Amino acid sequence: MRKSDHRKFWSFREARRPRRREKLILLSLMLAGLISMVRLANWWFREDHVGYVPLFILLSLIFWWGMLRQLVVWINYLRISKPEKIQAPKTLRVAIFTTSSPGEPLSMFEKTLKACAEIQYPHTTYLLDDTKDPRFREVAESHQAVWLNLVGLPGAKAGKINAALKLTSEDFILVLDPDHIPFPNFFDEVLGYFNDEQVGYVQVSQAYYNQYRSFTARAAAEQTYTFYGPTQMGMFGYNCSVAIGANCTFRRKALESIGGHGIGLAEDLVTAIRIHSEKWKSVYAPVVVSRGLVPEDFGSFCKQQLKWARGVHEVLFDEVPRLWSKLSLWQRLSYLTIGTYYIAGTAMMLFLLIPYLFFWFNLLPAQMYFAQFLMHWLPVAIISVAIYLFIQRWMCDPQSEKGIHWRGMVLKFACWPVFFLGFILSLANKKIPYIPTAKKAAKGLSPFSRPLMAHASLFVATVIYVVIHRLYYTPEAEIVLTSERTWGMIGFSSIAFIMAIGGLYAAYESRNLPEEDPWEKVDMI
Amino acid sequence: MAKKFLSNKILFRVTASIVVLFCGAMIVAALTYTGKKTSGPVSDLFNQVGETVSNVENEVVEQTRQNTRSDELKWFNEYRNSVHRMTHPDTLLWGAYDNKTEQSFNSVIALEDTLHTKLPIISIYSAWGSKSSEQFPVMKAKAIYDLGSIPFITWEPWLNDFNAKDFPGIPADPAQRDKDCLKAIANGDYDSYLDKWIQQAKRFGAPIMVRFGHEMNDPYRYPWGPQNNQPQDFVAAWKHVVDRFRNKGAKNVIWIWSPHPAYQNFTEYYPGDDYVDWVGIPTLNYGTVASWSQWWSFDEIFGNYYPVLAQFKKPIMLTEFASLAVGGNRPMWYKNALTGIQKKYPGVKSIVLFHSSEDNTTTYKSLNWQVINDKTTVQKIIEAMQAIK
Repeated sequence: MRKSDHRKFWSFREARRPRRREKLILLSLMLAGLISMVRLANWWFREDHVGYVPLFILLSLIFWWGMLRQLVVWINYLRISKPEKIQAPKTLRVAIFTTSSPGEPLSMFEKTLKACAEIQYPHTTYLLDDTKDPRFREVAESHQAVWLNLVGLPGAKAGKINAALKLTSEDFILVLDPDHIPFPNFFDEVLGYFNDEQVGYVQVSQAYYNQYRSFTARAAAEQTYTFYGPTQMGMFGYNCSVAIGANCTFRRKALESIGGHGIGLAEDLVTAIRIHSEKWKSVYAPVVVSRGLVPEDFGSFCKQQLKWARGVHEVLFDEVPRLWSKLSLWQRLSYLTIGTYYIAGTAMMLFLLIPYLFFWFNLLPAQMYFAQFLMHWLPVAIISVAIYLFIQRWMCDPQSEKGIHWRGMVLKFACWPVFFLGFILSLANKKIPYIPTAKKAAKGLSPFSRPLMAHASLFVATVIYVVIHRLYYTPEAEIVLTSERTWGMIGFSSIAFIMAIGGLYAAYESRNLPEEDPWEKVDMI
Repeated sequence: MAKKFLSNKILFRVTASIVVLFCGAMIVAALTYTGKKTSGPVSDLFNQVGETVSNVENEVVEQTRQNTRSDELKWFNEYRNSVHRMTHPDTLLWGAYDNKTEQSFNSVIALEDTLHTKLPIISIYSAWGSKSSEQFPVMKAKAIYDLGSIPFITWEPWLNDFNAKDFPGIPADPAQRDKDCLKAIANGDYDSYLDKWIQQAKRFGAPIMVRFGHEMNDPYRYPWGPQNNQPQDFVAAWKHVVDRFRNKGAKNVIWIWSPHPAYQNFTEYYPGDDYVDWVGIPTLNYGTVASWSQWWSFDEIFGNYYPVLAQFKKPIMLTEFASLAVGGNRPMWYKNALTGIQKKYPGVKSIVLFHSSEDNTTTYKSLNWQVINDKTTVQKIIEAMQAIK
């Protein structure tokens, strides 16, 4: 890594403290946004706008569900806060749990365990090992870590953690993913908050060091910047900030009060909601004290998203109803919002289907003049963008993180098949089917890109069909009066088409990614 | 001490709330204002884009297809592209109005096919107002032109759809606008609407036939009638409109002055030879559909007034020609009307069939004037059309 990158990534960063004046500006913007939304709603819901009734209802549901989510996001921002830093007492007993599974690269653990050893605050690092590979034991012990042999336990990472809890006695446990390299001041930034006996876990920002290696990596990282800045800071203000399994520090008593770390595909979310239900508080410290890896190729990213989509729906259907009465109002709203995040996939799919229903079946959801729609929708859009850019001042590392994040949006759209699949699987209560990830460049594109290819082909086929039909078969008397509507629809559907091409590009690029491992060049000193 | 702290807190909260509300409202107001200011241009921009797309597509389609309707109406091109030929017609021009022409003109084509003919004139109706649908009907005019015909627009000065904010000087309450409405038009109160329409008509370029303020002497039908206005107000309004078109350089309009034959008073309402190109007369036989109507022949509806109308020495158009079937023999009505019409009424140079299936303008119930399914009547019309050729 170049010197400049080194300075850029491996320095401590934290978000700014929000000032009251800034929050008032935010409130003004939000109010303006709300008024604009009401104006838009007033225009939207008119009888003469309704086209084919079932489609109109569907379109309205999707569109206004999106608006409602936006409103919830804004309300969340109102309580952006940063906790007052507290100096940790010197005598706390702290452990780091990091897990290893068969197939994970040894060199990565070298780097991580070395960094763990260099964390200033006195602690014990434990390697929860499942590899049956003696070299892992060597590496652990060479960096003063304790090696725990935890082979063949069910429940993946969480299972090992729960077993390790029984074998250890420290009061505070940092659950660290092996690809996350911690900074030496990690515990100095975290432990002080446990002074408050009610605090169950302290979450810090999740940041990356490999996002510039591919389009997918950059896009994936962009999707997280706002979350690990203003969003979690807002959630902290409402006492519902969530734990993220990559670098969360738990109080043992909190884990014990819920019967151990949660098990499942979204185990950190499960753990968080259970801890909240037991009336513990959670702290979010907007500091960068570790950096990890984001998926670099399209296939791995989709796999990860599918896992989370499936796991988050489990939380939505199982944990939220079960723990409803024990959660505060804001916690309920927050978990509902998170739990329904992946429904965006279904929504996007329905959205992109609309033009094809028009072209192939002549069904039109709404009779709206596009110019009029723009006039009413643009204020909402402008204010949303203004708020989106305004809150970026509270990102943990605004210099490198701020921007329009268009890559993130493209990738999010391109994942609609994955989100949709996750939702359907959870409805049917089925497990995720095994999909192999090709580590080396495979001949074809990732299987997750197949729906995108189908969509792109459908678009091209439809355009060809429309052109041929209008050239040769549409009656003369119809041509002029239907041209605006037809080409307007083509224009609308081309937006989704362009997004799909973006996704396909990400998948294509993933075939030829650099071979070397990202952690090889990391030099913390 | 505590009291002071409390009141400071309250003061802050009240002030903050007011400031925030004010700022929020200001932001919305600013956006709305910008929106309103740009909505006109934005709408125009979209319309322009739409028109360009349509033009491009149309050129391509024209080149691809054979035997288009405009190919078959080639003989009419020298008329429809020339205002002079259209104001001095040397042959009888047929046309039709069908109400189902929002999405396409297929219904007109269907009527034509039934009558084994191609109609050079296609009639549409367009109202005044602030809505997008009340501006110059560019797309419909384009469609008609591309099909090979000339657009015939009945332009109705209804005033209740105007947005008072955009028209200072008009009554804010739409119900107040009908009294002396023609005076208001002559006075220039609606000029900004006029100017936009004129600009669009001029841009369209090809000659169009416009029938403005029709049946102005009928005190029961339209707000621009004598129940709200004086005859001289009508003349003033007409002249104001036509002058405005000419002053702005829109010379492609053929003006059709269209009084109702039964209410007469023609000369009082006549704007003058240099303001009128055609005299248009509606000739609808309502049969016995209402208590005030009876079965009248074409000669009774029109023939009685022909001598007076012919004195204007302008070509005469039968702007709405049709009969209902109730109360008499419809096929014979058409036969009697059309047989020998050129000899009886040589001033008649155009007949526009009124082929509406849902006419709500006169009676409380909807009237169906269509003949397309009436085989006997269709036969009579076809025979008459052959004879007139």
